[in-house]
Amino acid sequence: MNEDELRSEAKMVDLLNQFEHILESDPHIDEVGFVHPSQFFQLNEEAGHSLPSSDSSADGNSVFWNDDHKLGISTQVLLPLYKASKDAFMTANRQFKELNSTSDVSGVENSLCTSLSLDDSIESAVMKHSRALLLLSCDFGTAWHSRKLVVLEKHKLSALLDELLLSALVLSYSPKSEYAWGHRKWVIKSISEKCSTLPEIVTKESELVEKIAERSKMNYRAWNHRCWLVSYMTREQLLHELKRSRHWANLHVADHSCFHYRSQLMLKTLEDQCYEQEISSSGYSVEIYLLWKDELDWDEMLIKRYIGREALWLHRRFLSLFWIKHFLTDHTGLSSHGKQKTSMNNDFSVFMDNELHLLHSCSIIPDNSFDDYQAQAMHSATYMLWLIKQIPDSCRIELQEKLRTENLKALLNKVCPERSSTWDCLTGYVEASDH
Amino acid sequence: MGELASQKHVQFIVSVEKKKDSFESVVMEHIRMNGAYWGLTALDLLGKLHVVDVEEVVSWVLQCQHDSGGFGGNIGHDPHVLYTLSAVQVLALFNKLDVLDIEKVASYVAGLQNEDGSFSGDMWGEIDTRFSYIAISCLSLLHRLDKINVEKAVNFILSCKNHDGGFGCIPGAESHAGQIFCCVGALAITGSLHHIDKDLLGWWLCERQDNKTGGLNGRPEKLPDVCYSWWALSSLIMIDRVHWINKDKLIKFILDCQDIENGGISDRPDDAVDVYHTYFGVAGLSLLEYPGLKAIDPAYALPVDVVNRIILDR
Repeated sequence: MNEDELRSEAKMVDLLNQFEHILESDPHIDEVGFVHPSQFFQLNEEAGHSLPSSDSSADGNSVFWNDDHKLGISTQVLLPLYKASKDAFMTANRQFKELNSTSDVSGVENSLCTSLSLDDSIESAVMKHSRALLLLSCDFGTAWHSRKLVVLEKHKLSALLDELLLSALVLSYSPKSEYAWGHRKWVIKSISEKCSTLPEIVTKESELVEKIAERSKMNYRAWNHRCWLVSYMTREQLLHELKRSRHWANLHVADHSCFHYRSQLMLKTLEDQCYEQEISSSGYSVEIYLLWKDELDWDEMLIKRYIGREALWLHRRFLSLFWIKHFLTDHTGLSSHGKQKTSMNNDFSVFMDNELHLLHSCSIIPDNSFDDYQAQAMHSATYMLWLIKQIPDSCRIELQEKLRTENLKALLNKVCPERSSTWDCLTGYVEASDH
Repeated sequence: MGELASQKHVQFIVSVEKKKDSFESVVMEHIRMNGAYWGLTALDLLGKLHVVDVEEVVSWVLQCQHDSGGFGGNIGHDPHVLYTLSAVQVLALFNKLDVLDIEKVASYVAGLQNEDGSFSGDMWGEIDTRFSYIAISCLSLLHRLDKINVEKAVNFILSCKNHDGGFGCIPGAESHAGQIFCCVGALAITGSLHHIDKDLLGWWLCERQDNKTGGLNGRPEKLPDVCYSWWALSSLIMIDRVHWINKDKLIKFILDCQDIENGGISDRPDDAVDVYHTYFGVAGLSLLEYPGLKAIDPAYALPVDVVNRIILDR
């Protein structure tokens, strides 16, 4: 190594020390981001400092900015800082693994005390450097794995909870990080086996997802994490979440993931009810019936208010499918009973009349038409095709007197002629299943 | 409509490997094995695999292998099935599977199957239908599918099917075109496609096409992205419903995402190119029978001649 290389090597280590020192001295940092050097001045002004609160590198340029538990890292140092933290982590990790593989066979000659303190210092080096590394490279799997190994050896709840903090910090700059979400799941699974405060943690997790979903639209991993939590929720939590996410969905009508989450909450409520029903055999409760009815009405209100939103129409497909399956068809084996059948057909007629009315009002395209109205008409027509496909054969005949698939195809071809082959295929499929 | 700038794309792919001076490039080093698979498969489809030094690649791949039999994303990184499949695929491209201790790799993958038929990605236990596909594809390429319980594996995948016909990463997860590819691919390889309602799934998939641009998205309300020209399109082909979308408009969308001057393909027109989207753009065009490209197998995501060499020449 020549002199220049040595000097830059030393600079890199200084930089890493500085970074790790900040992380150590402010354990409550809850947000990290990469900042262009030109933004440092602005950050200081906003924070109301007359003097820069940032740490500077040897040449006087700002490198880190830390205030109010927020941390900014200059984009100019990302490359050397990454290299230094990766080298430091990989070295510590190698020592840690060597130690682990020899600890089983190491003889009694080793003083227990020395080996324990060595263990400790290597473990804390792994934790320190992996944290620095993961704040620069969120999906560096090996670093997450080594943290799990260290945490497992500690057998402490607090160590597990600390991992939730780090994972949240990583998600603050990389909300889609696969490993950060996976790490949370691993922590919660480990906790769930021995922790009495699980309901609290589930609530906090759900709030975290909501916060992240606000900034990171339709984040698959975030919403999937929330869906996964459903299985850990109590009945009260399910109802609370339904209320809470409805408020959120009102403000984010294009976020299909949120509607999927609601569908999971509703299905879980239904499932719990089915389980109870097996015991009492009293049929679906009024509560569940009203839950579905209310959701259908709410969705219709949103459809009319927010023109042309695919997510709202797809949610309606889900709602109608289960409405027909659970509340309109008679699955107790009494369908041959005259009175039952009439009442069911009546319910069905009321439901279908409402849907046909909705289709009609949504397929009118004003003269000064915008794209949204074309989309609305398209979604309403494919929704109706989907519904025709889903309803029982006996009801389909009745419906066909009121609505022919050719009319829907004509509407689709009018609003979106470039997809005519798609409409041919879909109507062909729906018609083919008519018996 | 422009043409495919094949020569430029070859130059771009080769140059990516040599670029190591920016944070953006070094920060991806932990998934270099996936990058190798994307770049090399794209080169093979473009008929230019010979520009690569085979020995150099093979020796690097082997240095990423662990005692467990699994592969890491790069030298010194922990093993995971994501990189193990890529390693097997890269060796398959070069007809070099014989350098492997097949039994060892197969044991690593098979050892990750859980009691319910699902697969973990590594020893840490994260479960995902992606890992089911990877395990099945990998073991099939190694002729070792008998090492797992295929019936249970299929049943777990089917438990991830949603009412809209699509599949998610675990039971109850939202349908996603990437996950659908994994589930349909795994079912295709194990001869289990009869378990799915092809029309219902075809419906969900064909609604991914954007009316204006012709590109495909991966979920409702998302922007179109070139990578779904692979995930959604290959699924449509496997279930024989590709005529449900407008193929010409999709070809145009992919070609519009090229950087004609410097090579490479991006997620959407005028965005920055990368090797991931370059591969999926080329692979999508191959599925659409674009002239001058080798045919790609929709289930194995490898050139058809490579798959035939392995599967037929037993």
